[in-house]
Amino acid sequence: MSQLFEHNGAEGKGYSQPDPIMSTDNLHIPNNLMRSNKARWPRISEPEMVRHYTWLSSRNFGIDTGFYPLGSCTMKHNPRVNEVIAQLPGIADIHPLQPDHHIQGTLAIFHEMQHMLAVCAGMDDVTLQPVAGAQGEFTAIRCIQEYFRHRGELQRTKVIVPDSAHGTNPASAAMAGFEIVEIPSQEDGRIDLAALRAVVGDDTAAMMITNPNTLGLFETDIAEAAEIVHEAGGQMYYDGANFNAILGRTSPGIMGFDAVHYNLHKTFSQPHGGGGPGSGPIGVKSHLAEFLPGPVVKKRPIMPDDKLTSINTEWWYHWYEPQYTIGKVQQWHGNSGAVIRSWAYYRRYGKDLRAMSEHAVLNANYLRHRIMEEAKIAGVDHLFCDGAEIEVVKHEFTLSMAPMKEELGVGAMDVAKGLLDKGYMAPTVYFPLVVPECMMFEPTETESKDTLDEFAKKFIEVLQEDPEVLHNAPITTKVRRVDEVYAARNLTLSYPFEE
Amino acid sequence: MVDQLPNLGREKEMLEAMGMSSIDDLFADLPESVRMLEDLPLRPPQSEEGIIADAKRLLGANVALGDRVSFLGAGLNRNYVPASVFQLITRGEFLTSYTPYQPEVSQGMLQAMWEFQTLISELVGLEISNLSVYDSSTAAAEALTCSVRIHNRKAEQKDTVYISELVPPARMSVIHNYTQGAGINLKSLKHNDDGTLDLESLAEAAGSCGVYVEQPNPIGVLDGGLVRVKEIIGENTAFIVGVAPVSLGVIEAPGNYGADIVVGEGQALGSPITYGGPLYGIFACTKAYLRQMPGRIVGKSIDVDGKVAFCLTLSTREQHIRRHRATSNICTNETLIALMGAMHMALLGPEGLEKLAYRNLAACQLGKAKLSEIDSIKIPHMNSSHYNEFVIELPGSAADCIEYLDSHGVVGGYDLGNWYQDKKNWLLVSFSDQTQASEIELLAAHLAVWAASQLQEVLV
Repeated sequence: MSQLFEHNGAEGKGYSQPDPIMSTDNLHIPNNLMRSNKARWPRISEPEMVRHYTWLSSRNFGIDTGFYPLGSCTMKHNPRVNEVIAQLPGIADIHPLQPDHHIQGTLAIFHEMQHMLAVCAGMDDVTLQPVAGAQGEFTAIRCIQEYFRHRGELQRTKVIVPDSAHGTNPASAAMAGFEIVEIPSQEDGRIDLAALRAVVGDDTAAMMITNPNTLGLFETDIAEAAEIVHEAGGQMYYDGANFNAILGRTSPGIMGFDAVHYNLHKTFSQPHGGGGPGSGPIGVKSHLAEFLPGPVVKKRPIMPDDKLTSINTEWWYHWYEPQYTIGKVQQWHGNSGAVIRSWAYYRRYGKDLRAMSEHAVLNANYLRHRIMEEAKIAGVDHLFCDGAEIEVVKHEFTLSMAPMKEELGVGAMDVAKGLLDKGYMAPTVYFPLVVPECMMFEPTETESKDTLDEFAKKFIEVLQEDPEVLHNAPITTKVRRVDEVYAARNLTLSYPFEE
Repeated sequence: MVDQLPNLGREKEMLEAMGMSSIDDLFADLPESVRMLEDLPLRPPQSEEGIIADAKRLLGANVALGDRVSFLGAGLNRNYVPASVFQLITRGEFLTSYTPYQPEVSQGMLQAMWEFQTLISELVGLEISNLSVYDSSTAAAEALTCSVRIHNRKAEQKDTVYISELVPPARMSVIHNYTQGAGINLKSLKHNDDGTLDLESLAEAAGSCGVYVEQPNPIGVLDGGLVRVKEIIGENTAFIVGVAPVSLGVIEAPGNYGADIVVGEGQALGSPITYGGPLYGIFACTKAYLRQMPGRIVGKSIDVDGKVAFCLTLSTREQHIRRHRATSNICTNETLIALMGAMHMALLGPEGLEKLAYRNLAACQLGKAKLSEIDSIKIPHMNSSHYNEFVIELPGSAADCIEYLDSHGVVGGYDLGNWYQDKKNWLLVSFSDQTQASEIELLAAHLAVWAASQLQEVLV
């Protein structure tokens, strides 16, 4: 049976639990607050429930199932030891309001993570509180906002974003109350310095940009862009979605950025979990540090009154509230479970995080090369072109299927669906918006050469399919092409119980 | 590291295929001025065994609540999550998938989240639920901005919302950060001495965009007066209720007493506390708020063969389409934790939920009965009814009391002087389905000794 709500066993069916610790006859509950009708939840036994969710899992594609080249999402392997560590009682069973002497181990790990993230990005201070990349963007932009308020520069009401930016950039800045100024990219997909010069001024609060950009290109003029924004008195914000490309090779700090967010669920292998949880710490240069959401972890030498634990041989770890803090963006200390997993991941690499990025870039370039090579052999290289003309890409690359669309009426979405039939997750499609019929590939460092070779071949096989086959793809999946318009016109957002 | 990179040792072969000779060639586009020239000043890599050993050493130095007798809650209470939940969410098809943009190969998670929406809808008594936001604080904040988008045009009090004065500072701070950009004024709602909402002064909120209160409220009071809120504030003001979801096994669903939006902390259903994250925020509403709500929603549809199929829907509210005009910037959410919640809810069933709610109620009310027997301890809201937690007023500072209890192996509760400046002697003690009667006896005994010592100090 496929429907959870069609399980309607005997009353009370479900998992057994102990009885209440006192009689419920005399409980004090306001009369008008007694529940009038029970939730129509299923009545399902454990074996049925386990089978239901196992069946659902068999209808879902993950990195563990196969190659997942979803551009911009960094779908790398998630080491399983991270999951084991996150279930230890020392993290799963601790409460955010426990005193510092109960949680020295967690604070030590957080301190190490703050330090590592600061080092990798060339920043001075880090908070682990934001729980997702978008929230990290919002948090950093709020810090910049309070920084300018503190300096009395209230006229800085505008945030500049390139037209190739992730949608969360303008959405986050708008949520903080900024006006968005979008600037066009150059023909080659890179930032247009002239367009930037034309819009900066004493109303500029910040520029938000990712590097490498969403086309997978390194912004070679980034230092100059930073100079332009800084000369106008604005701040530079680095969207860390594409951080996986550059660790140990360059850093936002070197490029001239003032603030950055990290996606622990991209670069540091927190599993994506079907859409979350993530974690979006931010790093800032020292002039923004006292505006960070509070508290952040600090350490100092141990003192006589400290209630030492087995790990306090030299240092005492404690929470610290920044002086001009923007306050909180999550009511506790963020997605601590994700931070712990990413700590375990970091320990696996240590200073060799650089090799991680090198292999991510190696794999992206190799896959791009192999696709081009196979396309030439098969004589289908005229059906697509580079999203951007470029010698080397970074961790991802884009292809435009516009020629194929024109010649055969087959667009990026059709090709994506054709790839599903080959047993792959499709690349990101129709993003960035500046590339027509865009497909965006990000293989990550955890795919083998053999997988990449095989994928290149299969991709070309898809391009050689009869257009009709691709219009009808996929055919091998659990369901075939889903009617999204039908879903929006006939909104059925929950199980339709018979009244 | 060597076990994580399949192409270690094959770099040369791959580079040569591309006509390159070194990894440096791949970074040739980095201008020299921005290159990092030295190694990252970080520790050397570690083996899996080494990492596990360090994790156990560091996290083992923490005091896990399970190792102590604990009465610390304040919105996050100890709970039991059935073993099958933990086993099932480690399935890689769930764990390692991403947002289901390709519905044909993501039916499992899509259906699970559609079922989650149904479970939450049924629980809170409202038609619509999304598939989670980050936590209860961001859920409340998003509900308030949503209420302004819906009601501002007709509102007499433009850009204004009212919030219970009891809402803790951390939650208020999140609300402030999320609402300040839209220029929303946050006004405060008074409470009576017994902890219930002051319905007379609530009349001021009529004509504003939204009212946010919690049931039970942050000091554990179940407030029967909330059933009158909607008639007082009227049709054009959103009635937003923050809930403890397990309580709804016994307590009326807010949708049945006029709530327009229900938010809350999902943690008690499906998730360990995990130092306060990841959690999941519940967000449910009536149809009137649907097109202004934040977050992802799954709809039921059909495929080209007419077969039932699920997909994300109403995406035009979201940042990847609407960019700076989106209803929220949320992208990544808490799907996996919501999935744990769905599994737990499915296993409980309606009667299991009711029993779980009674276990929480019973533990709290037994605690109240026992602590009320201690002479020198007062219960300021004695005549009100409580769920999960209540306040005790001590004959000395709550901070001192917590330290005393800590030295006797008891995590005593929360010092409300941190929330309410003039309440230094207020201790918030919390009870849950995990609380044992013997633990309550132990707390009462220690409190009695400490309270007596305080009185003696006063006499001396």
